[in-house]
Amino acid sequence: MAGRGKLIAVIGDEDTCTGFLLGGIGELNKNRKPNFLVVEKDTSITEIEETFKSFLARSDIGIILINQFIAEMIRHAIDAHMQSIPAVLEIPSKEHPYDASKDSILRRAKGMFSAEDFR
Amino acid sequence: MGVSKLKSSVLLDEELLRFMELLELLEEKRTAFNSLIEQGWFSISKARYSMGNKQVSALQYASEIEPLVHVHTRTLDNGGVDFHTERVQQNYSNDTEQDARSVEDIGPQEEGVRRRKGQDNRGLKDMMEKDASHFGSTTNAVPHRKSEPNPGQDPLKWFGILVPQSLKQAQSSFKQVLELSAEIAALQTSVINTRQELKRLMKDKRILEEKVLEEMHSKTTD
Repeated sequence: MAGRGKLIAVIGDEDTCTGFLLGGIGELNKNRKPNFLVVEKDTSITEIEETFKSFLARSDIGIILINQFIAEMIRHAIDAHMQSIPAVLEIPSKEHPYDASKDSILRRAKGMFSAEDFR
Repeated sequence: MGVSKLKSSVLLDEELLRFMELLELLEEKRTAFNSLIEQGWFSISKARYSMGNKQVSALQYASEIEPLVHVHTRTLDNGGVDFHTERVQQNYSNDTEQDARSVEDIGPQEEGVRRRKGQDNRGLKDMMEKDASHFGSTTNAVPHRKSEPNPGQDPLKWFGILVPQSLKQAQSSFKQVLELSAEIAALQTSVINTRQELKRLMKDKRILEEKVLEEMHSKTTD
């Protein structure tokens, strides 16, 4: 295996982040920038969006995991991301079960994303 | 023209079947993924119950964190992307063994410097020789031990030395979740690509149908 692989980033509530960090995905790079964001009650949508965009811009991130209820807050930013890498995976949270009808990828796949598909 | 239309229809059907299969597989993986995450949360909650409310939180994260899992991406010939995870090999059991040995070494080292009065010269000489050899061995051993914190350590240790079994179960659940997440990411990309291909084939078929209609129309007018 040539070279170091990419990272898995996570944006989620405390338990989701703790779980994935236990799994070993966490990183604090040389600039002390983490690859995770713990979303608390007082975390602003702007901060979430900025973090998401910064993860998209990082070339060392391969997959972004995001709680679906947080993804709903920044849906426009997620829908605007069309590249395969980094892949964005919407995951359930403790208080919000996963709803496939809200998933950006599935909506796109089922042709509900653009009216052009119905022609 | 008729043959190419038939070929296009067959291709479209094949692609549609592939698309459906991918969606089914994605749903299957999603179900497993979601249930594993739920299992992980349940184990974290159990650990929190036994350790205390503040003992399993973001406050316990280490100040130096190194990733233990990497994801490798590879672009396939058909435009798809393959994701697979790779875990950094770490031998935690060896680390703990070394720690245990270093703790044991401290005892004899400190005892070695003790001197007792009232011994004859021969006994003292023997003891000094013994001490010298002992110090020699310890000075060799010292560079091996470093008290610097290991950033690549097992994240379980952030929460204490003796963590409950439920926290270990949570870790194992999330490790499985990570493997599944790479598979789901690859499937998602395939689904989107197949959808694009399906759209392209449908467009081709529509163009062919229009051409056939035009030809038929021109024949009837002639």
